Amino acid sequence: MRRSAGWRPFPDAPHLFVHDEAGGEALWTEALGDPPQVYGERVAESDDRVLRRWEAGRSKLSAAILRGYEGPIPAPSERWLYLGAASGTTASHVADLVGGDGTVYAVEKSLRPSVRLLRLAERYPNLLPILADARRPDEYAGDVSICDGLYVDIAQVDQVEIALANARRFLRRDGLVLLALKTASMGREKDPAGHLAEAKARLEAVLDLERPVALDPFHRRHYLLAGRPTPGLYRAPVTPASGSPGRRRVERRR
Amino acid sequence: MPAAVLLRGGGRLYLVPSSGGAAPSVPLGRDADDGARQVAAGFSVPLRDEVVRWIRSQRAPSPLATAGAGLAEALGRAGLAARAATEDELRAALALRPPAPLREEREFRLAALRRQLDLALASDTETLIALSREEARVERALRREVGALDQFLAPSSGPLADQREDAERYRDAVERHYATLVGRVETVARRVLPNLSAVVGPRVAARLFAAAGDVGALARIPAARLQVLGSHRRPGGGHGPRFGLIYEAARMVDVPEGARGRYARSLAALAVVAARADLLTHRDVAAPLLAKRDRRVEALRRRR
Repeated sequence: MRRSAGWRPFPDAPHLFVHDEAGGEALWTEALGDPPQVYGERVAESDDRVLRRWEAGRSKLSAAILRGYEGPIPAPSERWLYLGAASGTTASHVADLVGGDGTVYAVEKSLRPSVRLLRLAERYPNLLPILADARRPDEYAGDVSICDGLYVDIAQVDQVEIALANARRFLRRDGLVLLALKTASMGREKDPAGHLAEAKARLEAVLDLERPVALDPFHRRHYLLAGRPTPGLYRAPVTPASGSPGRRRVERRR
Repeated sequence: MPAAVLLRGGGRLYLVPSSGGAAPSVPLGRDADDGARQVAAGFSVPLRDEVVRWIRSQRAPSPLATAGAGLAEALGRAGLAARAATEDELRAALALRPPAPLREEREFRLAALRRQLDLALASDTETLIALSREEARVERALRREVGALDQFLAPSSGPLADQREDAERYRDAVERHYATLVGRVETVARRVLPNLSAVVGPRVAARLFAAAGDVGALARIPAARLQVLGSHRRPGGGHGPRFGLIYEAARMVDVPEGARGRYARSLAALAVVAARADLLTHRDVAAPLLAKRDRRVEALRRRR
């Protein structure tokens, strides 16, 4: 890594770097795993550190930061609960951000991605994989602790309720929720803006929300919502989080 | 409000008093791997006697508040009343549960996940899906190999002829490999999906299952969807596809070409009944379905 060639540290994030590239700015994180490459991303080495390119097209958090999200992000030594880790693309970067003194609990429900997540966790010292359904947080309560942050990327109709059910149980009272909202998974009755408004209203009642960030053009019809709990979060849930709602029936237009 | 919550932490059970203070604990298994095995199996194996005796000796409140349905059921089977901890109880208990060292926590987690994946991937249904996808992959490879060999022109002697001979040996090896694989797929398909295998043939039954994705998806699939499963959308507008994987199904070749769309539709209707019997009721419904199928084939052949 050449120090002169357009690299600069990201403010308040010792493991995150910004690089000026031909196509614009790109984010790189300091790799914790060995070997560093996780999903085919570019790797750059210098004498004192190894960096991995955090592809904005693969990771919603990276896209959000590049699209102007200015709120807090995972910080060193923190403990994060990551819902919807899949094979660990973004989870590995979150693990980079929290560093060797932090921990990431990566929850994934599907079998086949979990096999890859296990392989990744075997060489990532601070990534703990959990095969479980994020809709049933009590089932993995024995595998996690109270967390500083909750990252949710699960593309389900009830993704907001799932996030809140987990936040109520596992998030520190002044912890941080990062929710990657996939509106395409929330039904066709509303357009993306409508889904965003609904999710925002629901979250605002219980979280202190940052301004939502649209993730175009990296992820179309996706938004990143971030916030910290307010006392309202711990009052009795308005809608009981129980079981799968199944696929919502779509009214046919004549 | 109970005085304590019984909460797992890695491979140990902690009795966390709601008033704070020391939380005594007991290892779930004889060793770390034994604990991981119990967690991976969702506590379907009985709790060890030592664990049950330990809980009783702690004069724990009854019913015990605990997190997770599996653990509550295991406690119930051991004669200890248990109920689900509320969110508030759980959060308080998590904050009070003593932290395990990261290395220990990580080793337990990895061991438990390995166990879980082993169990899940070895199940009949996952085996069938994985075998069927492999069968589809090798079939594509074989077709490519045969096609490439057709293009390969060689004189009767010399290095080019030697190369051709080697290439033929390679193709034969892939063919044998594929035949073995199909045998395996068909054996497992006949066991897991006996009715569906009878109606559409075991290889296609396995492909349909793999395309659907899992037990729940295949059990819920509508006939109209199953009929086009594995098909590609036609380019441009116009009508959708008439068949996907089902085009390779049993007796399709006996139907005149103009009637294959009709046959696919009827066969899909029979196939969903067979699939549901296989996955939900586990009854043998093959005979009446086969009779209907063959009547339909005859009817379509007599047309015209």
